[in-house]
Amino acid sequence: MILAVVFANSVGNILVERFNGVPAEERLHWRSFLVKLGADNLKGVKNEELLVACHKSVYVVYTILGDVSIYVVGKDEYDELGLSEVIFVITSAVKDVCGKPPTERLFLDKYGRICLCLDEIVWKGYLENTEKDRIRRLIRLKPPAEF
Amino acid sequence: MAQPLVKKDDDRDDEAEYSPFLGIEKGAVLQEARVFNDPQLDPRRCSQVITKLLYLLNQGESFTKVEATEVFFAVTKLFQSRDIGLRRMVYLMIKELSPSADEVIIVTSSLMKDMNSKTDMYRANAIRVLCRITDGTLLTQIERYLKQAIVDKNPVVASAALVSGIHLLQTNPEIVKRWSNEVQEAVQSRAALVQFHALALLHQIRQNDRLAVSKLVTSLTRGTVRSPLAQCLLIRYTSQVIRESGSTQTGDRPFYDFLEGCLRHKAEMVIFEAARAITELNGVTSRELTPAITVLQLFLSSSKPVLRFAAVRTLNKVAMTHPMAVTNCNIDMESLISDQNRSIATLAITTLLKTGNESSVDRLMKQITNFMSDIADEFKIVVVEAIRSLCLKFPLKYRSLMNFLSNILREEGGFEYKKAIVDSIVILIRDIPDAKESGLLHLCEFIEDCEFTYLSTQILHFLGIEGPKTSDPSKYIRYIYNRVHLENATVRASAVSTLAKFGALVDSLKPRIFVLLRRCLFDSDDEVRDRATLYINTLGGDGSVVETDKDVKDFLFGSLDLPLVNLETSLKTYEPSEEPFDINSVPKEVKSQPLAEKKAPGKKPTGLGAPPAAPVSTVDAYEKLLSSIPEFANFGKLFKSSAPVELTEAETEYSVNAVKHIFDSNVVFQYNCTNTIPDQLLENVTVIVDSSEAEEFSEVLSKPVRSLPYDTPGQTFVAFEKPEGVPAVGKFSNMLKFIVKEVDPTTGETEDDGVEDEYQLEDLEVVAADYMLKVGVSNFRNAWESMGDDFERVDEYGLGPRESLAEAVSAVINLLGMQPCEGTEAVPNNSRSHTCLLSGVYIGNVRVLARISFGVDGPKDVAMKLAVRSEDEGVSDAIHEIVASG
Repeated sequence: MILAVVFANSVGNILVERFNGVPAEERLHWRSFLVKLGADNLKGVKNEELLVACHKSVYVVYTILGDVSIYVVGKDEYDELGLSEVIFVITSAVKDVCGKPPTERLFLDKYGRICLCLDEIVWKGYLENTEKDRIRRLIRLKPPAEF
Repeated sequence: MAQPLVKKDDDRDDEAEYSPFLGIEKGAVLQEARVFNDPQLDPRRCSQVITKLLYLLNQGESFTKVEATEVFFAVTKLFQSRDIGLRRMVYLMIKELSPSADEVIIVTSSLMKDMNSKTDMYRANAIRVLCRITDGTLLTQIERYLKQAIVDKNPVVASAALVSGIHLLQTNPEIVKRWSNEVQEAVQSRAALVQFHALALLHQIRQNDRLAVSKLVTSLTRGTVRSPLAQCLLIRYTSQVIRESGSTQTGDRPFYDFLEGCLRHKAEMVIFEAARAITELNGVTSRELTPAITVLQLFLSSSKPVLRFAAVRTLNKVAMTHPMAVTNCNIDMESLISDQNRSIATLAITTLLKTGNESSVDRLMKQITNFMSDIADEFKIVVVEAIRSLCLKFPLKYRSLMNFLSNILREEGGFEYKKAIVDSIVILIRDIPDAKESGLLHLCEFIEDCEFTYLSTQILHFLGIEGPKTSDPSKYIRYIYNRVHLENATVRASAVSTLAKFGALVDSLKPRIFVLLRRCLFDSDDEVRDRATLYINTLGGDGSVVETDKDVKDFLFGSLDLPLVNLETSLKTYEPSEEPFDINSVPKEVKSQPLAEKKAPGKKPTGLGAPPAAPVSTVDAYEKLLSSIPEFANFGKLFKSSAPVELTEAETEYSVNAVKHIFDSNVVFQYNCTNTIPDQLLENVTVIVDSSEAEEFSEVLSKPVRSLPYDTPGQTFVAFEKPEGVPAVGKFSNMLKFIVKEVDPTTGETEDDGVEDEYQLEDLEVVAADYMLKVGVSNFRNAWESMGDDFERVDEYGLGPRESLAEAVSAVINLLGMQPCEGTEAVPNNSRSHTCLLSGVYIGNVRVLARISFGVDGPKDVAMKLAVRSEDEGVSDAIHEIVASG
């Protein structure tokens, strides 16, 4: 299960958060845990370089893309490897929508599109689509190119 | 909420000037949402408003029921628009709002229309939305379309239906299970994702049908799987089939070749999945492990942190069961200690601690010391635990490891971390006699400057037990008495108790302790004064060197002899009245299974955590339990209690396990029974034991459980007599006998009439190892030399063809039931000979040491030379007899 996908800006404010199967009272805890994790480790990290952490049986893979840091949290079959696949899809879709690693402003400008992308990528805690070209077409309600 | 980056200079570049959501406010956005009701829809405007709503929701904002309903109804109006972009947003918005059952009906018809639309993408999205918001009744209406969609030639539609199926399986399994033919067809799809989703769904539908899963795996491992994700799933299912087939035959393990082949796949995730599957195989051999370890080793030096992490995490797990298999990676692992990612570094360290040999300990400790300063407490705790087990493995190294623990104890750290260190030191003190004095002094120094009341009091309690038994108890007094001056009332009170314990146990110290206790009479705290007064008045002798009365000791420091849970329940039900609370009315029977039984096997007792601080070993818990039963009172001292042996399979109606208690001339079987049927009450539960295959045993009594309600464990006992001091062995067959009464689950009322019934249990055996206590020695050579060769017996044995040397070694250890010393139970890979050192105490409290040299002769034949030394000639011979007849 992919428990959470969270986007934050450079000072740790949340831009997007989507939780699956996480009780509401635990979300605040996760939010601050992830932001602190990023603040501690993401300085000087290159775009899309993946970092990893684990807490008990829950895994976190996170990275930075432009001004935006991205965190995905998972457990069971979504271990660090599964999550790195998920985050790879997310970063490539975001880059595709924004045309480059986004600034915070650009990210917010494309907010609706990004939400649609996330909708195509993660569905209720499971990875669904994995190719950026396909996602680009799907969010415009176009059938995928290979078809 | 996102802080806008406001800048006043208008000439600056357009980007990053202000947030498009600057000053966004829920009320205003809800107002804006009224545009959805316009007769002339403006798709662009509507999309913007939806984006704002999404932004609010994604920020954790929530809508009230009324607001959500209003927005939902407005959004449904947007189905009128033919704008494709807007329609996509509408689908998302409906999912985000997750309307309630009575609202769903509004969009059902629009979605059903889209689901049958000619536009593929409308179909796919409508399926996704419908499945998200639907309930069982609606599902039966649309089932036909969903089945079609699974085999739709458009992969997006097929995937949408399949993934919906995966979700719906949780809520409506019986409906989704009807789709298996279509799903089966989709597994053969040429679209990679469809195959992946179909495989996942098909497996979920059939997961309880072993044969079907096995067939699925067989056909797919032969054919082609298109996506790496599906390949990973296939590997998982394959491991499941291997596990369930239960085959541990080497060489021809089914599907091993498939797993091994996956190690050469081009996708990293497949390689990892296969490597992990191989390392987790039951009874994996070193030959099977090697290729997996080799690929994992390569990943250790990958430039990507995720891959390094995955590799080291897997190797860490392997190191727990096959430490020798991982030693080849040690050099790569050592370089990971300085890895920027602390998770990786910690895993590397803990792996190294498991795989290192005695000679590398010091070097490793030096590296860890540098590393400890810059990791978080949670990682430090993991390291401390690893060091604790390392120290137990190499007791001779206790000095450097104990020093390390005491050094980190002095540094900054939170409560959990400090507690882990203190627990470790306590365990080392208990298990390594040589480490006792230095360990106690480290703890003394720690309480001089300890900010945690809990830890201080626990250490003081522990000092009270262990300190008086040391060679020079007086040296601890200063540290303890300092607490009376410097600490809060809780710590002071516990220091007073500790002082009194020294006074009670060490007669020569008594006069001086009395002087100190008298000073405590003027303490500002009631409890401290009360305790001091109590001790001064009860210890006796008025400060002269006299022995403390045994009854006084028992009264002051003896245990309650009552399960605390029972005491708590009795106190809760006690109503204040004229009659004082009578402690004798508290039942002594242990309701649930003793604490130690529930722990995972091999897990060490957790240091100070378990009250009281004296080691509550399993034996102690059993001893207490048995001594509370009058029938067993004349059996004498309990020599050994075995680990529980399961007599039923998992998840049967009645779950029973048995513990064998060995006394000098008696054996008691304790059957722990649990009734797992809610609507049954069992009464008069006994076990009928047939001991015809155990000639030397004769049954003396059987103690039934009067009542065994649902899910409340109860114990029944059967006791046997056997010749005194003789390690008699035999096999016992068991039958559970009871009276069943029906219970009405709603009212909890029990029917009056019961039916007698029986339930066959597995056999139970008493073996030679039951008469041996596992008691280690910290320095085997010293112990061996000091035992002398008066009663040494040496002989050679051929063990015949064995699977491996390691298997032969562990079989002999299990046969004798002795404690392996100095890590000699681990056999290095590919070695042709091995020496194993064992120590134990045989029935009659006779110490026994054994030195066994194993050698491989020919292809698989194992031979061994067994040298036994003990304090009794007869026992040395007995050990040889065990081996000769085993």
